[in-house]
Amino acid sequence: MQRTRFAGIAAAAAVTLSLAGCGSSGGSEGGDDAKTISVVYQKTASFTQLDDVLTKAKSEYEAANPGMTVELKPVESEADQYFTKLALMNKSEDTAPDVIYEDSFQVRSDAAAGYLAPLDDQLSGWSDWSQFDDTAKQAGLGDDGKTYGVSLGTDTRALYYNKTLFQQAGLPTDWQPKTWDDVLAAARTIKAQVPDVTPLNIYGSKASGEATSMQGFEMLMYGTDDELYDTSSKKWETGTKGFSDSLGFYQSVFSEGLGPSQDLALDSTLGSQVSTTLIPQGKIAIAIDGSWLPGQWLSGDNAWPEWQQTMGMVPMPTQTGQAPGSTSMSGGWLLSVGQHAADKQAAFDFVSTALSKENALKYGTEASQIAVRKDVATDPEYLSYNPSFEFFSSLVPVTHFRPATPDYSQISSNIQVAVESVVTGSATPAEAAKTYDEALEGIVGPDNVQAAS
Amino acid sequence: MSATVPVAPAAPQPPVPVVAKRRRPPLQMASPKKRGTATAASASLVLVGVVFFVPLAWLLLAAVDPSATVAIGIPESLTLDNFTTVLTPDLTFRPLWNSVLLSGGTALLTVAVATLAAYPLSRYQMRWNKSFLYTVLFASCLPITAVMVPVYALFVSLGLLDNVPGAIFFLAATSLPMAIWMMKNFVDSVPISLEEAAWVDGASAMQALARVVVPLMRPGLAVVFIFVFTQTWGNFFVPFVLLLDPDKQPAAVSIYNFFGVNGAVAYGQLAAFSLIYTLPVLALYLLVQRVSGGFALAGGVKG
Amino acid sequence: MATLELDGSTSRGRVPDTRPRGTAKEAARTAGRLLPLTPAIALMGVFLAGPIGYALYGSLTNAALSGYRAANPEFVGIDNYTRLLTSGDFWHAAWLTLLFVGLSAVVGQNVLGMFLAVVQNHAPKPVANVVGALVVGAWVMPEIVAAFALYAFFASDGTLNAGLEAVGLAPASWLIDTPMLAVILANVWRGTAFSMLVFNAALAEVPPEIGEAAQIDGATALQRFFRITLPMVRRAISTNMMLTTLQTLGTFTLIFVMTSGGPGNRSTTLPVLAFQEAFKLAQIGYGTAIAVVTLAVGALFAVLYVRVLKPEVD
Repeated sequence: MQRTRFAGIAAAAAVTLSLAGCGSSGGSEGGDDAKTISVVYQKTASFTQLDDVLTKAKSEYEAANPGMTVELKPVESEADQYFTKLALMNKSEDTAPDVIYEDSFQVRSDAAAGYLAPLDDQLSGWSDWSQFDDTAKQAGLGDDGKTYGVSLGTDTRALYYNKTLFQQAGLPTDWQPKTWDDVLAAARTIKAQVPDVTPLNIYGSKASGEATSMQGFEMLMYGTDDELYDTSSKKWETGTKGFSDSLGFYQSVFSEGLGPSQDLALDSTLGSQVSTTLIPQGKIAIAIDGSWLPGQWLSGDNAWPEWQQTMGMVPMPTQTGQAPGSTSMSGGWLLSVGQHAADKQAAFDFVSTALSKENALKYGTEASQIAVRKDVATDPEYLSYNPSFEFFSSLVPVTHFRPATPDYSQISSNIQVAVESVVTGSATPAEAAKTYDEALEGIVGPDNVQAAS
Repeated sequence: MSATVPVAPAAPQPPVPVVAKRRRPPLQMASPKKRGTATAASASLVLVGVVFFVPLAWLLLAAVDPSATVAIGIPESLTLDNFTTVLTPDLTFRPLWNSVLLSGGTALLTVAVATLAAYPLSRYQMRWNKSFLYTVLFASCLPITAVMVPVYALFVSLGLLDNVPGAIFFLAATSLPMAIWMMKNFVDSVPISLEEAAWVDGASAMQALARVVVPLMRPGLAVVFIFVFTQTWGNFFVPFVLLLDPDKQPAAVSIYNFFGVNGAVAYGQLAAFSLIYTLPVLALYLLVQRVSGGFALAGGVKG
Repeated sequence: MATLELDGSTSRGRVPDTRPRGTAKEAARTAGRLLPLTPAIALMGVFLAGPIGYALYGSLTNAALSGYRAANPEFVGIDNYTRLLTSGDFWHAAWLTLLFVGLSAVVGQNVLGMFLAVVQNHAPKPVANVVGALVVGAWVMPEIVAAFALYAFFASDGTLNAGLEAVGLAPASWLIDTPMLAVILANVWRGTAFSMLVFNAALAEVPPEIGEAAQIDGATALQRFFRITLPMVRRAISTNMMLTTLQTLGTFTLIFVMTSGGPGNRSTTLPVLAFQEAFKLAQIGYGTAIAVVTLAVGALFAVLYVRVLKPEVD
C-alpha cells in the first residue's frame, strides 16, 4: 500500500492534536495528579476576600508540604453561573476539583450525587474541629449523617435602609417596620417623595440565582404561617397561602414600580451592582440583603467609609407581625473535598490550613461573616472589626435554615422560576404557585408532597 | 477553480455562497426613468446600510471611548486604554491562543479527513455513494446546537470533558458533512485526465491524490480550511459546555465570562475585546476572497 | 459485499476500470478505495451519531446534575416525553421557536436578502458595495460579538432608545417588553448576508435579455420582478429558505446573550429551554428529551430539503 500522502495528512492531523494536547496540559485533571490540589471557588467584582484567603493558605500549605502544589482555579462568574459551572465540573471525574467551595444548600445534593468525600475520619483527627459550633457542623452534614464540608462562616439577612433618603422622604431614620405592609408603605413614600431611586430592592430573577430564593422569597416565606418543607412529616408543602402571599409581595413591589427596573432586576450582575454601586451611590432606599455587604465597604476597591452614618439596619418583619416579630435566613459556604480527589488527606489538609484560626479570622472579618469558630467569634479583633456584627448576630435566634434535603437545590431553581414569572408579570401569584407545585411534584414525586391543610 | 464550483441553487449549498461576477444589465442608457430607479435604489440601500452600520459603529466607538456606555456616542476624547486594559495574558492572549489551537486543530483535521473522503466519493461510482452523500447532506442540516445537552452527557461518560482534542474531534465531526460536500465539488472540478497521466507512471490512487489533485485544489483546501476555522472561531456554545477550565477556554467563552462579570461597567473594554477577537476572522474573510477569486465567504455561519 | 458499479464513462471524471476484473482483486480494491473514507465515517459515527444515539437513550432516564439521580439515574421510559407534551413551557417554547424561525429566517432574512440583492443591481456600484460590505460584516463577526452589539443596541439605555428620544419618540424596554421582536430583528441583522449572497448569485444567472424583452413590452419593474425574475430563481429561494430555517432552528448564543430566554420564559426557544432544564434546573434527562424533539424537527426539515429539493448528488 502506498500511502505517503495519506501518512502525511495523518501526521499533520496528529501534530495538530498533539499541539492541542500541549496547550491543554497546563492543569491537573481532577484526581490524576496526587501532587497537585485543585481548588475551585467563586470570585467576582464584589467578592475577592476568599481569593485572598486561599492565596494566603496556598503559600502556607506549599511551604509546609514541599513537593505539593495548590492550583487555585477561581470561577469568575455570578452566583447562578457558578453553580452551573460547578455542577458541570463535578459530574465528570476528569474535571471534578479536589477542593470545592460549596454553598451549604448544595452539600446534601452533591453528597447524594457522590461528588463529595466524607471527612469524618480526617475531622476526628483535627483538634480545631471542636472549635466549630453546632450550626457549622450541621451545615456540613449529608443525608447519611456523615460530614461533607467545613464551614467558612454563616450569615443572616435583614433590611438595609438609607437614612439620608429616608430623611428626604420624611420617614423616621430609626425605622422599625412591624409588618410587610410597613415595608411596602415606606417604599411607597420613597417612590412618591424621592425621584430616581429604587425604593426597595428584593432579588427576583432566575439570573440572581440563590439570592432570589434566599434573600428574596424565603425572607418572606419564613415570615408567614406556612413553610416550604414539613420537617416532621418530611414532606414538601404545596398550595400554601404563605407561598402565594410571598409571591403577592413581589407582585406589589414590581407592579407598583417599587422595585428595580425590569432590566436591572433581571440582570445577573444585580447582586454585585447593589453592593458596589447602587447602595453606596444612594440609588436604593431599602434593600433586603445579606450580612456580608459591609465587608467590602470597610476596605478594598469598594471601600465606602460613610456607610456607618448612611445605612441603617433593621430586622425583616414577619408578614403581619406574628411572633417572633421578625425573621431571617442563614446559610453560609463550606470547603468540601471532592470524591475523586487523588489524595483526600492532602486536600483536607489544605482545607484545614485555609480554615485555621488565623485564616478564619481574616476571612470572617474581611468577608463579614458570622464566625462559626468559637475562638474567632470571641476574639477581640473580630468583635471590634465591624460594627454591624453585633446587629447581624442578634438575628440568630429568629433565623431559619433552608430545608436540608438533596432536592432543595432543584426546588430552589423552581422557586426562582415562580418568582421571576411574577416579577415580569407573565403569571399571577396563583398561577406561579401552581406551576411551582407541579414542578415540585415532578422533582420529589407525588409521595413526598402534602397539600396545605 | 472558481468557475467550476457549483453556484448556489444547482448543487447542495456550500455554506459559502459563491458569487459569480455580477452581470450588470447592459441597458445603460441614462434615461430619466433609469436615473430615478437608481436614486430610489441608492436611497433604500443607504437606509438599510445605516441600520446595519449602527450596531457595528457602537463597537468601534465604544472601544476608543474612555467613558463608553451601552448607547452609541461620539467619544469626548480618544483612548487606547480599553485595549491596553484587556491585552493581558489571562484576559486576551491565552484565550486567543486557545482559539487558535481549537480552530486550527479542527480545521486541519476536517480538511485532512474531508479530502480523503471526498476523493473516492468523487472518483469512483460506488453503489452506496449516493446514499452516503445524502446521509452526509442530511447530517449537515441538523441543528447540532440542539444536542449540546446529550453531547455533554456523552463527554462525561467518555471522560473527554475539558479535553481539547476531544472538543476538536467533536467540532471536526460537526464540520465534516459540509466540508465533505464542498471538498467533493472541488475534487470533481479537477480534470481526471491529469491523474491518468500519473497512473500511467504507476502511481496509486492515493499518490495521484497527493501529487496531482491536492496541489491543483489548493485554493479549495484553503476555502474549506478557512470556512471551518472561522466557524469554530466563532463557536461559543460547544466550548462553553465542553471546556470548563478557564485555562483551556477559547476567546468566545472568556469574552462571555468577561461580559457576565464586568459587562455592566466596562463597555469600552468589552467592545475593545470584541474587536480584537473579531479581527482574525475578518482578515481571513478578506484572505479567502483573494485566494478564491470569485468566492464570497462565510464568516461564522451560525453554529 | 461491496462491489463497484462503474459507469464506464469518463465524462464526469469517473475512473474507467481498465484493470482486469476478478472477485478477490475487486474486493481488495474496493476495500482500498473505501479506506480513505474510514476516518470520516469514524469521526462522524462517534461524535455525530454517538450523541444522537446517546440522546435517545438519555431522554428515557431521569438523570440529573446533582442529588441521588446524578449518582443513579433510573430508566423512566417515556415519562420525560409525556411530561414534555403536557407542559405549557414546552409548547410555549415550541411556539416561540416557530415565530423565531418563521419571522427572522423564512420571512425576514429572505425578503430583506432578496430586496438587497435586487436593489444592489440598480444602485451605483460604490453604494451597493459599501452596503453589501456592512451587511456581510454583521455576518462575518463571531456570533457572540454580534450578540453584544445587538444587546447594546436594544438595551434600555442603548442606542435605539437614544435615537428614538433624539427624534422625540418614546423609548421602550425592548429586551424586556418585546424580547421576541428584539431577538428576531437581531437575527435578521445577523443572518441576512447569507440570503443576500445566495440571491445575488442566483440573479446573476438570470439572462438580462428576458427582462429587456419584457421591458420593451411595457411591463413595469415590479411586474418584471414578480413575473419573470422571481420564477426564474425560485429554486434558489426554496433552497435558501430551507437552509436558513435549519440554521436558525438551532440558534442559541444570540438569544442566550441578549435575553437569556427571559424575561420569564418570554424568549425561551427550544434550544434555550433544553439548556435551562438540563443545566440550570439540573434535569439532564428532561433537557435531553427537549433536545431530541428539536433534533427531530430539524431532521424533518432536513429530509424535506433532501427529498423535495433533491440537490444533485453528483
